[in-house]
Amino acid sequence: MTVLVAYAPAPEGREALSEGIKEAHLRNSDLLIVNIGRGHHDLEPEEVRGLEARLGEAGLALTIESSVLSDPGDAVIQIAQDRNVEMIVIGLRHRSMVGKLILGSTVQRILLDATCPVLAVRSDKL
Amino acid sequence: MLDSAMAALASLADPSLLIMLLIGTVAGLVMGLIPGLGGTGAVAILLPITFGMEPPQALALLIGALAVVHTSDTVSAVLLGAPGSASASVTMLDGYSMAKKGQAARALTLAFLSSMAGGIIGAIGLTLAIPLARPLVLSFASPELFMLTVLGVALAAVLSRGNIIKGVSAGLLGLVLGMVGTSPTTAEERFTFGSLFLGDGLSLVAVALGIFGLAEIASRASQRRGQKETISLGGGWGRGIREWLSHWTQVIRGALIGIWAGVLPGVGATAGTWLAYGQAVATAKDKRQFGKGDPRGIVGPESANNSVEAGDLIPTLLFGIPGGVPSAMLLGMLLTYGIQPGPSIITEHLDLMYLIVWSFAIASILGALFCFLSVKQLAKLTKVPFAVLAAGLVAVMLLGSFQEGGQLGDLWIMIILGVFGWLLKSTGFPRAPFLIGFVLAIPLERYYFLTDSLYEGFDWMLRPGVLVFLAILVLPIIWAFIKFVRARRKTNFDDGHRDEQPEDDEAPLKNSSWSLVAAGIFAVAFAAALISSTSFSPEARLVPQLVSIGGLVFSGILLFTEIRTRLRARTEGAGWTLDAGFAFKTFAWMTGFLALTAVFGYLIAVTIFIPAFLLVVARARLKVAVIYTGVLYVVLLALPSLLPIDLPQGWFNTLV
Repeated sequence: MTVLVAYAPAPEGREALSEGIKEAHLRNSDLLIVNIGRGHHDLEPEEVRGLEARLGEAGLALTIESSVLSDPGDAVIQIAQDRNVEMIVIGLRHRSMVGKLILGSTVQRILLDATCPVLAVRSDKL
Repeated sequence: MLDSAMAALASLADPSLLIMLLIGTVAGLVMGLIPGLGGTGAVAILLPITFGMEPPQALALLIGALAVVHTSDTVSAVLLGAPGSASASVTMLDGYSMAKKGQAARALTLAFLSSMAGGIIGAIGLTLAIPLARPLVLSFASPELFMLTVLGVALAAVLSRGNIIKGVSAGLLGLVLGMVGTSPTTAEERFTFGSLFLGDGLSLVAVALGIFGLAEIASRASQRRGQKETISLGGGWGRGIREWLSHWTQVIRGALIGIWAGVLPGVGATAGTWLAYGQAVATAKDKRQFGKGDPRGIVGPESANNSVEAGDLIPTLLFGIPGGVPSAMLLGMLLTYGIQPGPSIITEHLDLMYLIVWSFAIASILGALFCFLSVKQLAKLTKVPFAVLAAGLVAVMLLGSFQEGGQLGDLWIMIILGVFGWLLKSTGFPRAPFLIGFVLAIPLERYYFLTDSLYEGFDWMLRPGVLVFLAILVLPIIWAFIKFVRARRKTNFDDGHRDEQPEDDEAPLKNSSWSLVAAGIFAVAFAAALISSTSFSPEARLVPQLVSIGGLVFSGILLFTEIRTRLRARTEGAGWTLDAGFAFKTFAWMTGFLALTAVFGYLIAVTIFIPAFLLVVARARLKVAVIYTGVLYVVLLALPSLLPIDLPQGWFNTLV
């Protein structure tokens, strides 16, 4: 069983990652990371190794995947369906009124198109 | 209107038209297979053949080719994983995967049928656009027509791939180049440096074949060995048809997306196809198979592929704004026949419009049929290494550009522009705005001065049509600016980019000293144009000066950013890469060929150049070189008697 984290190098992406790690431990599932950031700012290799080690202690695996699809939302959904993941974890950020109106968001697409449960987290807490 | 449509169909029964349509279709299919040629190359190569023909025959030939260029480019994409054109790379994603699973026939069936449907729906769209746009178009007077030319260049610059500043610079430079020759208003010579040859202006075919054709050849001529083994075709053609019918919604949606992409100036087949693919993925519930052999990844995009070319024709014929590069050339051709797009085409030449529609539809059907019948032969053709094809292509292109003016000078221009086109392509400058600017330069100036003389002061700017066009002009710029600002703030990774193509690696020399040189060339060219235009009379210098000043501003910004990136980044960026070296060697060969032609005449030059190129560059076998040259020689010998083609004569021939 796998938990998929849609990661991006931003506060909400990190929040999604840490929440995803918690979920993986909770459900005793492997962790799968898909990078949705523009450009190729992946996780640093040392970070990946650190994560691998932490998860390995609990007997869980870490994989990082990508898809040929150029839209990150579609890519996440495709990988999620392909790997039959149990849950997708994504990070939300604050959007202005105009932002919500005129620009779509990856998060919105994932929420609407996913065929498995989605956990949406925010980095700004009360 | 219906009777015009029927009359046009009846006119197609004329054998000469039918033959031209057939030849055009076959030529288009063959050229669609050759990497890098595409619709642009096909129209550019066929254009010289149409000189001296009546408009109906010429249009049947060109439209026949244009309609099917995207039907055959799928063959190499599916069977070899090597797309013949950028738009075929979309089909390659799922088509090649399907072929690798042994279902090549299924992929090709889906592709060919979708291409056919896309073409037919595109033709229907074009037909419907005519009565819909008619009241609008008939209300256009010279102010609106002027704004349309400005809009054509501007939209092409803004909507093309690559950053907007580069697009605008390219468009403005195209405008300047289009003004070389005689001024339309005062009949004085501009930018000709006293040369009689330049006094006639630059030849459209030479410019197009140089910037697009030769540049593509140079960047691909390094391919010496044939592709890896072809995938066997297998059977299952019938099943494919039934499956295709089950995806009819995807086909129609793809076609509509394609028409829309075609209507937008500067947005060509590539962008339209990716848009269709993005939409197919977005609306699919089960996305697993995309990229791995999902039929929906083939059906929609292939349909869009073909309908884009029809959509391109809508603004080109009805408004005079080229929807894409091939239609820009078609526009240029119509202008030389004296057929003005816009109001006059709807009133006087309605029969030609419907001829185009019918030709497009029939060619799409024929094209798909031919593809089905000759798939095996087409597949064999795709295995020929490009270097071998390049030899013949160079010869054909040089011959083609010679036809328009009969001047060797055109061929030199072609090669110089070829180098420039290669530089543009490698440094990420879009070339479509350049050609569109070139085609629209004279009409733009003409309409401006017509407007200026007919209307008092600047009242014409307050006409509703003009205001609407101004809004259309300004909106994308504002939109692009907003996107730019947001990208700078790096807060927008969250915005999906469903509509965009993957990062292109076609511009390997971006952000290197090459791009600095390119920006520099632009700046120098605009400065030179500005300086030399001060010697013109006031009326003749107005537009050139405006364009040059604008160009200087934009290329100045470019230079500034380039220098800044250079200084910031310590690394050199790409220097003299292997590809660059090969490209320049290829250009050296082309120059050598031209020099040979200038001295010894075309026929002799061909017999020297072709074997030499084949043996040295393509490393072909002696037998191949001999047969190739022999066949080409015989064909060229016979050509002048079959078609109105002149072979360039050299200095030697004048002595003998």
